[in-house]
Amino acid sequence: MISTLAYIPELLLASAAPQTIKLGVGLSRQSSTLAANHDLLFWFITWLCVFFFVLLMGLGIFFTIKYRRRPGVPQQRCVAHNTPLELLWSLGPLVILIGIFFWAFDLYMDAHVAPAGAEEVTVVAQKWNWSWTYDNGAATREFANVANTDVPVFAVPAGKPVKLIMTSRDVIHALYVPDFRTKIDVFPGRYTTLWFEAMEAGEEHYLFCAEYCGDQHSQMAAVIKVLEPGVTAGGPPANIPWQDELYGDWKSRMAFDDRPLKEVGATLYITKACNSCHSIDGSVGTGPSWLNVYGSEEKITGGTTVTVDENYIRESILVPAAKIVEGFSNQMNSFQGQLTEREIMALITYIKSLSEEGRVELEAAPAE
Amino acid sequence: MTTTTAHDNGHHGHHDVSYLKPKGGALVTIWDWMTTIDHKKIGVMYLFATLLAFFVGGVFALLVRAELLFPTVTNAAGDVTGQIFDPSTYNRLFTLHGAVMVFLFIIPSTPAALGNFLLPLMIGAKDVAFPRLNLLSWYVYVFGSVVALIAIGLSGVDTGWTFYTPYSTSTEGEHWQVVFMTLGVFILGFSSIFTGMNFVVTVHKLRAPGMGWFDMPLFVWAIYATAIIQVLATPVLGVTVLLLTLERVFQIGFFDPALGGDPVLYQHFFWFYSHPAVYIMILPGMGIMSELVGVHARKKIFGYRAVAFSSMGIAAISFIVWGHHLFTSEGELVSAIFSFLTFLVAIPSAIKVFNWVATLYKGSIAINTPMCYALAFLFTFSIGGLTGIYLGALAVDLHLHDTYFIVAHFHYVMMGGAVIAFLGGIHHWWPKMFGKMYDERAGLLGFTLVFIGFNLTFFPQFLMGANGMPRRYATYVADYEPFHQASTIGSWILLAGFLVHLGAFIHSLVAGKPAPANPWGGLSLEWEAESPPIEHNFAHEPVIHHGPYDFDDVVPPHCDPADYPLPEPIESDSVAPGKHAH
Repeated sequence: MISTLAYIPELLLASAAPQTIKLGVGLSRQSSTLAANHDLLFWFITWLCVFFFVLLMGLGIFFTIKYRRRPGVPQQRCVAHNTPLELLWSLGPLVILIGIFFWAFDLYMDAHVAPAGAEEVTVVAQKWNWSWTYDNGAATREFANVANTDVPVFAVPAGKPVKLIMTSRDVIHALYVPDFRTKIDVFPGRYTTLWFEAMEAGEEHYLFCAEYCGDQHSQMAAVIKVLEPGVTAGGPPANIPWQDELYGDWKSRMAFDDRPLKEVGATLYITKACNSCHSIDGSVGTGPSWLNVYGSEEKITGGTTVTVDENYIRESILVPAAKIVEGFSNQMNSFQGQLTEREIMALITYIKSLSEEGRVELEAAPAE
Repeated sequence: MTTTTAHDNGHHGHHDVSYLKPKGGALVTIWDWMTTIDHKKIGVMYLFATLLAFFVGGVFALLVRAELLFPTVTNAAGDVTGQIFDPSTYNRLFTLHGAVMVFLFIIPSTPAALGNFLLPLMIGAKDVAFPRLNLLSWYVYVFGSVVALIAIGLSGVDTGWTFYTPYSTSTEGEHWQVVFMTLGVFILGFSSIFTGMNFVVTVHKLRAPGMGWFDMPLFVWAIYATAIIQVLATPVLGVTVLLLTLERVFQIGFFDPALGGDPVLYQHFFWFYSHPAVYIMILPGMGIMSELVGVHARKKIFGYRAVAFSSMGIAAISFIVWGHHLFTSEGELVSAIFSFLTFLVAIPSAIKVFNWVATLYKGSIAINTPMCYALAFLFTFSIGGLTGIYLGALAVDLHLHDTYFIVAHFHYVMMGGAVIAFLGGIHHWWPKMFGKMYDERAGLLGFTLVFIGFNLTFFPQFLMGANGMPRRYATYVADYEPFHQASTIGSWILLAGFLVHLGAFIHSLVAGKPAPANPWGGLSLEWEAESPPIEHNFAHEPVIHHGPYDFDDVVPPHCDPADYPLPEPIESDSVAPGKHAH
């Protein structure tokens, strides 16, 4: 799914995609209403820099060749000071730079102040994932692979402004969407906002964390998928995968997840970024692997042991610091308030399904 | 004006020998160096210490680039490829690269190594104003470095060299590493403050008779401006890391919102020092530039006063632009003010570049390693400076902030500016410092490799930054792979260039030809001293007869007039010949 995202290979292959730049020397594609204005200023500055650079280097190289030292030939006498010339190259650039300041400030205000009536989405960042909650309470259940990690896919409507109200549960993060040309830091203990209006339905965009936040910083990504904003008369538009599952507008397609618990758990494993620390293949990460963990005996820092059962898993999700498995450090945030009771149960069921003892229990239990 | 002091005469005989001449056996010599208060020896000790730090920081950089050669990929069979270091190790490597390069190498390198050696020589003094404080600053530097190295030994720090809170105050399992690292930075700050105080007083009080402010070489102006920033800004860094340590150890809430603090406050504190510190790094490089261009083009620096005042202007404005590091953190008004001020600080730097290029006009330009580095500085520093316009422009910064565009920008300024100038300066003053010539062909070969390697390493980073590649990433989406690979290959060429230089310097020390007192035909006072200088620098206190760049009218000291022919005197102008006969 994510392979359709790749914008630089597209241009390396000289694809006809209209909004990508050539030869990888420019910018990523223009996919928000802010991008075109931003890029105009970007290229203005670029050509201004090219002009001054070529002027200075051209003169420097020309003088170096023309006036290279020849034995017995003295330098030529010439003035070492010229007030009009010096004023020209001091004040000229100053005027240009002040012009750029006002231009850039104007665009910055556009990017900073969300238009009225924007769709509001609550964004919570934590080491190391993003979670978006829409105003109807819905969250995503789709994911994609970015930078070798399964990350959530978030839906936004095309042609409608979206305002993200963001906070962090631990350290500073920054939400960055290169294709939208905007980013804002996300702080613990306060809200910051970022808005954009995606233009083309069907496009997918990388979302990166841009403020260094620890081990999995480079994998704290997500994908933004732009959808048609609403259902047209006569049924859902074609070609949009989520539209096949449920009816309604773009948001309601992500509402209450009524699949079996194990499947919900497998989705939450990725969308809540359990996977950034806990593997399911036995490899050791920032936290213990979930493979065969259910039903096992674990040594706890401090000398006691614990049997991994439903209660221990629940406690580890809600109060992670309570019992740390020996050899690991306390890196995990509490998910208190982040998960519904059904979602906690879903994760427990998923963990059970990863060990023999758990699978036996699951098969013996009556179906939900 | 031409008399010497009785003090000088009284020491004849004891101090007429080269400062490098051993005082006795190995132990005696080592003790002599370890307890020396000679600014030249302290400068050389700083040179070796900072070059060692550069080597350590460089190894970290090469490891960082090696990890980024390929993105980490898990194939269908579950095999992980493209990963040399796990992310946690990678994060330590880039943190230590930044911290070592900034605090242990680039801040002390030019001011404390070249500045210490040259400042008294250039103003015709016997030493700095406070020689014992000078030695203390070196020991404080070494002590601070050792404390920081303890943090590295204790498995390292992964906070980034900026130690942003609350990450740096809340990471588990790294408690004492962070404390030791910030304590090391705190101690290193004192070394910097001592050097700065010493240099300010030295410039004010110890100039040779007849040397007015506008008779000083521009390197001295640059070092003076740097010293003022060191004295005024470094205490704020000390306070900042101390507050951070107090929060870390005693859970006092300054910056961590969980304790009632404000994480953005930390960023303001940190950049209030660290932005002026950027100019602690680049101003001395600009000073070196003026000397290289003047001497090797044999031209009076065009617009001397503008260049001198622009150093002071940069020093002043550098204190009020720190907020441009926070465009994605702060509100509109704050960002607007800092953006405007940031554009103002660009002007003095631009003036300098224009003046250096104008100085080349009608010069007599020697093509040698120092001059090639001067021309390379024009190239790389111009790119570094011009790309600052993107980042000062608010809307553009929203896109480029915390991407590789920033990484490329500050490496073009710090490495393409400060380090390139430092390398040019070392070649330029090497004969003076060690009394030996380096091999010019080896110098040019090393230069070529460094120049190509540098640009191949860092130019692709502008391109991937503009395409959205965030910084401080241990792995990346495959789209950015070609840029990262070009960059990593560039880092190997850069390494080859540094190894050539290292070999040439060792060869010079072991088997180099003896250097004449004035190999380049310079006019500033250090070229009147012997190569290497005698212990008290000058046999007689020098008296100023001419400016440091009067190449049109003065035959350089210790030089054959046939090698440095003068242009015809201007008959209508009585000032120039008058100066000559002064």
